[in-house]
Order: sequence, then structure tokens, then C-alpha cells
Amino acid sequence: MKMPRFSRKTLCIPYCVFLIFFVILPMLVIFIYAFTDKNMNFSFGNFVKFFSDPTKLSTIVYSFVIAIVTTAVCLIIAYPVALILARSKMKRKFVLLFLFVTPMWINFVLRVNAIRELLNWIGLLGEANYFNTIFGMVYDFLPFMILPLYTTMMKIDNSLYEASADLGGNSFTTFTRVTLPLSMPGIMSGVTMVFLPSMTNYVVSDMLGNSKVTIIGKFIETYFGTDWHMGSMIALILLIIVFTSTALTGGFKSEDNVRGANL
Amino acid sequence: MKRITLKRTICVACASALLLPILCTFSGCGQDQIVLRIYNWEEYIDDGGEGSYVYDQLLDEGVDETSIVAPSILDDFELWYEQTYHKSVRVEYSCFGTNEDLYNQLKLGDTYDLVCPSEYMIMKLASENMLEPLPVSFFDETDEQNTYIQNVSPYIKDVFDSHYITLTKENGDKEQHSWGEYAAGYMWGTTGFIYNPELVDSEDLSHWSVLLDTKYKNKVTTKDNVRDTYFIGLAILYQDELISLKDKLESGEIGETEFSEQAAIMMNDTSPDTVAKVQNILLEMKSNIYGFETDSGKLDMVKGIISINFAWSGDAVYAIDTAESENVFLNYYVPDECANLWFDGWVMPKNENRSEETKHAAMAYINYMSKPESAIRNMYYIGYSSVIAGDEVLEYINDTYGVEEGDEEDAVPYDIGYFFGVEATIYTYEDQLERQLFAQYPTLEVMRRCIPMEYFADEAGERINELWTKVKGETLDAWAIIVICVCIVAIAAFVVFVKLGGKIDFFRLKPKKGYRLIKQEPYRK
Repeated sequence: MKMPRFSRKTLCIPYCVFLIFFVILPMLVIFIYAFTDKNMNFSFGNFVKFFSDPTKLSTIVYSFVIAIVTTAVCLIIAYPVALILARSKMKRKFVLLFLFVTPMWINFVLRVNAIRELLNWIGLLGEANYFNTIFGMVYDFLPFMILPLYTTMMKIDNSLYEASADLGGNSFTTFTRVTLPLSMPGIMSGVTMVFLPSMTNYVVSDMLGNSKVTIIGKFIETYFGTDWHMGSMIALILLIIVFTSTALTGGFKSEDNVRGANL
Repeated sequence: MKRITLKRTICVACASALLLPILCTFSGCGQDQIVLRIYNWEEYIDDGGEGSYVYDQLLDEGVDETSIVAPSILDDFELWYEQTYHKSVRVEYSCFGTNEDLYNQLKLGDTYDLVCPSEYMIMKLASENMLEPLPVSFFDETDEQNTYIQNVSPYIKDVFDSHYITLTKENGDKEQHSWGEYAAGYMWGTTGFIYNPELVDSEDLSHWSVLLDTKYKNKVTTKDNVRDTYFIGLAILYQDELISLKDKLESGEIGETEFSEQAAIMMNDTSPDTVAKVQNILLEMKSNIYGFETDSGKLDMVKGIISINFAWSGDAVYAIDTAESENVFLNYYVPDECANLWFDGWVMPKNENRSEETKHAAMAYINYMSKPESAIRNMYYIGYSSVIAGDEVLEYINDTYGVEEGDEEDAVPYDIGYFFGVEATIYTYEDQLERQLFAQYPTLEVMRRCIPMEYFADEAGERINELWTKVKGETLDAWAIIVICVCIVAIAAFVVFVKLGGKIDFFRLKPKKGYRLIKQEPYRK
């Protein structure tokens, strides 16, 4: 008796089934809900309503600003850390990396709760809602920025630095002409991974901003309690924003020299 | 050869192990078992174990801690049903977090035999023809199995029978049905404030507008849901009218029904004009309060972060209890204007495939939960007040809140006869008049001012939802939105430009003396 041989095609079937049921179908449902009214008739009503409502537009803008600030702060903190980790000659630097990544293994809600206690202890809770929200998001998403940066920087060949030094580049020139350009893919994937969740992660804004800070993800949640059609429309618009920004940052390009950097 | 056979055996065994539960659901493992699907609020039933009534009773009797077995009330129900009706029943119990979740689940086609929504959701479900009326036999007082109808508080029964739902039949006819035809009560309560008497002047609390009081800036919270907050907004908007109505009620100028009717008109007002006014009130409130919360308020009260917390009465009992163990003493207060009288009740969603047996088990379940001892167990466990009256419950309340022997001098009479339908005066400590006892069973004087809030249908509902997004979100001026959008588009255009090969190099420096700039960029492919 011969063992059945699986061709590449047959091995793909489970993934296709998964993609159809858990990615494509849900997307279709969201799309259908977004462009129908309560009686399931085709309508542009939700689309018009969304763009004629200053509150929803303002909230998108607010979420955008919060996300941009979060990403920028994450990048500013994570870049030097990743650089130090990647360039240091420490024998056990993975321990350091570990320390930065371990918080990710603790339950998310638990971490936010801890931050809430901390902010309360400092006396900021309830006083600076926007600051608290951004603070919490930076804390939560920092590992997502450090990891891709670290993996790309690890791959930069040491001889490139030597070459730069040989050619008379000081450390600043080396940084701007070697390190920065070569770590660009890491920056891009880090930015994508921090920017997108920070537009929608309303758990942080609810718990640390005392629900007084509302980001667009919260609206989706609220609308899905009462009006699925509007909720789907907001989700769809967010999806389009996400898609565009990913396309702009080049997230869809397959770059084989940064394997794994896009995680 | 042998190896493959073994492999196949293992495969078959694994597959059947995986399929077994599925097969069971279809064939109903153990054919005679009735499956009762119940959908209730989270943490809204006696779960047995440490901290349950049975456990603590046994502990008081001196039973050794390690040997105590306190089953959950559901286990006890299954046992009781089998003993009483000689049929086995299995309860499939699941929980929801909000009324809207429940509604969505039912709309998506989940079938349950009994669900426990709040009064407004019962109205909504019934008016959309999604509920089946409870059988007439369930309300037969002569049948001794019907513990619900025998024990339900006359006060609650009256409310259930005097409030109506308008149903639109399939042929377009409209029919009026009372709540009582569809729902059997489970828990009930009021809304009010938990406050810390050391930090708050209780006179300030007499109006809902304390939420706007800058004296308590960042020290008050309200619920993160539209219904409760809209109610507060209306109560603030109609403050003067409601107070004068209350004075008339107290001077005897108008009767109780007239008060309820007039207050109900104000508290269910959803005209565009009113909604706009309430929106301004709520926006002002937002800038004054500490935050909107759903669950964190209780703990924040205990920790002293806030000093006034809008709460449902059952949560208030829980918060006061918890605070007491931390040596913080909190009180409960219902503002003067009026408060929301709410209920959670058992209703039966429509399901054509439901067998008579399941229906019977469902009714038996409600009746079992309505036994005074079950009501006590649930109340003890969750802190809310059951709709069940009866001597045992009264005795339990007396045991919990009545003065202990030797303290008779300090005793204050507290009348809750309206709820129990009999002479019921509890001699309690004075502080209980503002604490757990008051939260669980407010005085008749307060109850007369409590009214249920109806559900908002269609357009009104949409208006209220829009108000909520406006209150929760930020609204920028049009020009600000345009400016920011233009900036974002500009950045995007810039990125695209660079991508398409536009040469913008911020870091292009002059080469050091003696070196020559190589045109080819080393890092681009």
C-alpha cells in the first residue's frame, strides 16, 4: 500500500477554506451591510450620513492624530533601543530583548489596568485623558515597533559600517547614509503595526481616558449595538483608510531582503 | 502494512472522538433528556461555592470549611426537576453583557427557551413579535406548582399588569398587551447615586443636576450607556416641572397615577427639540464629570477616587458591602425629581420547534427561581432585589437588616409593606435608612416617584443614538476638519511623489574633502 501523496494544490485547500470563511465572507457581509438600509434595500444613506456628520469626521480626525502621535512616540523610543540592541556586542543581549517583549505575554487588559493604577497613583487619571490614552497605547504597542526594527537592523552587514568608516564617514554620516536607509523596511512595518491598532483600540481610551476620549473603534462598537448598517459603514471606511495607508507606506511590496521584517 | 493499519485505526478513533459531541447534539445523547437553553446576564444567578448562601449557612452551622459542598442553583434545579417530574433536564446556560447583545443574538437566529432582558428590551422584543406569551396555566394561582404567581410581590405584579406593549400583527392590526402576559419578573430596582457621606453634602444630591455642579468637578461619574444618561439629561431639563409635580403629589393635590402619567410623558420625551436641549446638558456634564463607566465606578468609589457614582440599586448594594470591608462607608440616594424603575424578567422567544416538554421545563424553571428560598439565594449572591415577596423573604430581610438583640433602643421602624402586600415593618439601625436596606427596598415615598422608561423606536431611537455619538465624540468646526484633511492629503501626495522616484534627500551632505560623491546610491536596488 502506498501512502497517499499530497500535491501542493491539495495542501492549499484548508487555507483556502479558512480564507473564504473567515476573511472573504465576513468582508462581503460588512460590505453588504454598509450599503443597505434597515429593510436590506440598497442605499447610499449611511455613506452620505457619515460624511455629512461633523462628529464622525472629527472623531476620525482625532483618531488619526492620536494614532500619529502614538506612532511617532513609539518610533522615537524604539529606534535607539533597537539600534543599541542590534549593535551591542553583549553576549546575552537576547535577555534585554526579552525584557522588552515579555509584557506582551501578559494579558492586555491586565496591563491596561496596571497602567490605570499607575496613572491614578501619579494623579493623572481623569485629569489628562488624551495624554493617558496615548501613554497607554505607546506602552502597549512599543514591542511591535521594537521587534521589526531589531530584526532589520540585525541583518545589516557589519562590513557596511566598516566601509563607511573607511570612506571617511563620521558616525552621523554612517547613520544617515547606512543605518537609516537600510532600516527603512523595519520602520515601515513597525509604523503599520502600531498605527493601525492605535486608531481602533478603544479599550485603552475607555479605561485610561475614562471613556471621555472616543476614537473611531468605539463608534463601531457602539453602532453594532443598535445599527449594524452604520457600524459596517464606519468599519468599511476605516478599512479603506487602512488599505490606502498601507499601500502608501509600501506594505504590499514583497522585499525579499527583509525577510520577516513585516512579521 | 501493519503500521498503516495502526495509523488508520488512530485516525478513525480521532475522527470519531471529534465527531462525538456533534453527534450528541443532533441525536440528543440520552434521548429522554430535555435541554433547556437559558440566556441570562453575567453574574446574575447563584453560582454556588464560596460566598453563596448555602455555603455561608453551613459555615454558620459550624460545618468544617473543607467539607462544605454548595451546589449552584442550576444544579439544584436539575435535581429538583428530576425528583418532582421524573424527567431529566439539562440546563444550557449562557450569558450576555448588554440588552443589545441579547437582541442581536436573537436576531441572528440563536434559539433560547428563556432569556432575561430588561423592561425596555422586553417591550422591543414583544412589539417586534419575537416573544411568545407565557401560557395561561402559568398564572393559575390555584395550582400549587405555580410558585411565581403565588409569591410575586403585588406591587411588581401591578406594574407588570398596568404597562402595555403595542404589537403590530402580521395583518397590520395593532394590539395592546400588558407586560405581564409576556414576562415573569426576576430582579428589579431603581437608579440613584452612591456617595461618600464624608465627602459629599447629602443635600447637594437631591437633584440630578449635581452632575453639573462644579463643586464636584472630576468627582462624579455616570454610566457609559445612552439610556441611563439620557434619562439623567431629561431629569435635569425638566427639573422644575418634576419638582413642582412632586410637591403636588406630596400635598395630595394630584394622585399617584396622575404623577406617573405626567412624569412618564416628560421622561419619555424624544422630540427633536428636547433631544437638542438634552444634548447641550450632557455636553456640559461631560466636561464636569470624571468619566463614563460601566464597571469601574464601584471600585473607584471604594478607593475614594470619586465621591458620587450613578448606579443601579443592586450595584449600589454590592459597592456598599465591598466598601464596608475596606472600612469605607457609602450611602445610596435617589434624587427628588424621579428615578428610573427597572426590571429584568424571564421571557420566552418564539420558536416553533419547541416541544411541550421543554415549555413545561421552562415554566418549572421560572417557578423554581421564584421559590422564596431560591430568591433568597440569588439575592444573597448578586445583591439585587428579587421580585419575589413572601414571608420567608421578609424574614430574611429582617434577619439581615433588623437590629440585633440588645439594640432595641436604637431601632428605627422601616415600612416596606407596599412591596410585600402585608404589614411589613422592619426595625433596623438608623444608618440602614440610607444604605443597603434602602437600596434594596426604597421607601414607598421614593417608589411613587419612580417610573419605567420605554424603549425608543425607529426615528426616536436613531435621534437618541445620534445624540450619544455627539456627546461621546468631539465635534470640530468645519474649517478645522478641512485643514487637517488637506494636511493629510498633502502628506500622502508627498509620499507618493517620493515613491514614484522624486528625488528628495534630506541627508545629502557634501562629501568630505578629498572624497568624491558616487552617483549610484548604494542602498537602492
